[in-house]
Amino acid sequence: MKEFLSHLFIPKESNNHRAKVLHHTNLFLSIVFLVLASFFIQAVKTKFPSVLGIQADISSEQLLFLTNKERQNIGVGSLVINDKLSQAASAKAQDMFEYNYWAHNSPTGKTPWVFIRNSGYRYVYAGENLARGFTRAEDAIKAWMESPDHRSNMLSSNYKDVGFAVRVGQLNGEETVLIVEELGNLNLPIVRSRVESSKPVVQSAPHISVQAVHRQPLINIQSLSSNIYIVFVVVFIFALLLDMIIIEKKKIMRFVGHNIDHILYLLLILVLIGIWGKGVII
Amino acid sequence: MLKRISEHGLYYFSLIVILTLAFFLAYSNSYDRSFQIGVVIATTFFYVLWGIMHHLLNHDLHMKIVIEYILIGAFGLTVIFFLLSVNGS
Repeated sequence: MKEFLSHLFIPKESNNHRAKVLHHTNLFLSIVFLVLASFFIQAVKTKFPSVLGIQADISSEQLLFLTNKERQNIGVGSLVINDKLSQAASAKAQDMFEYNYWAHNSPTGKTPWVFIRNSGYRYVYAGENLARGFTRAEDAIKAWMESPDHRSNMLSSNYKDVGFAVRVGQLNGEETVLIVEELGNLNLPIVRSRVESSKPVVQSAPHISVQAVHRQPLINIQSLSSNIYIVFVVVFIFALLLDMIIIEKKKIMRFVGHNIDHILYLLLILVLIGIWGKGVII
Repeated sequence: MLKRISEHGLYYFSLIVILTLAFFLAYSNSYDRSFQIGVVIATTFFYVLWGIMHHLLNHDLHMKIVIEYILIGAFGLTVIFFLLSVNGS
């Protein structure tokens, strides 16, 4: 075992003075393994969602609380849940899954406003925020707050009412958690906030009652996949570092790429694994 | 190693600048999937091209080296694409 590991990670005569794990064949096999592992994980996720699936804990109550907390921080009045906006949000979420799209306007030409009007909410102002792939309400709100347009929608004093839809479904063949936030106002606002939305966006909301997704599969797919990728990247960085140090000491000339280039690039990939994959917004 | 880094200071400086820029772009747009994919593809392309150009200028470019940069780049892209895909975002 020790000899095997040494052959894998220590550059020496037996591996032509290049850590075996860094040979082209092994690099290629690693890529093939990752592709196959990803397809396997996707297949298990689809067939056995209770074993391997998306862990999520999001409710409209949490979303409302966090939204109002942000509004209070800048002195804007709190939003209240409106059943019609919630209906509109539900209809929009349903439409997105049914027609398989990730956009404010549907492929059939329906704008967000259509869903709001159909719910019977006669708005003066309306807006819509969408998020997908988030597993915690805090992360979705944080993402909206970091985007100027979404933040403007969330914090606008033009809005008094809100409706949320939180649904799990398939978009582009991938199971995901979809959050729809529908904002509106039936009357002209008397006082305008500092942050105002110049372009109202309409979105549908979930059922009239509180919307929530609470899922706790045996294995959380996001942690599992991230950990697999992190292990692979760290192993390669470790092998490159070891290879570089030993070859420098032995002063051996080789025709190989610069390990330091590969290490810097893989460090970036490692950081991206950490900051990406939490979800996206539009 | 340090000697080589100092001899090729401009190359490593430019590489670090581009990778750092990619990090900041990725961080500041961490919720925009199209942008994420664009950043990682552009950065990988730059990393492969920059590595090959550097070896070419040093007169030690070999097909093995080109393949090595392409494989490492493909590995990085594979990791990111499947991370985004599997996580359903």
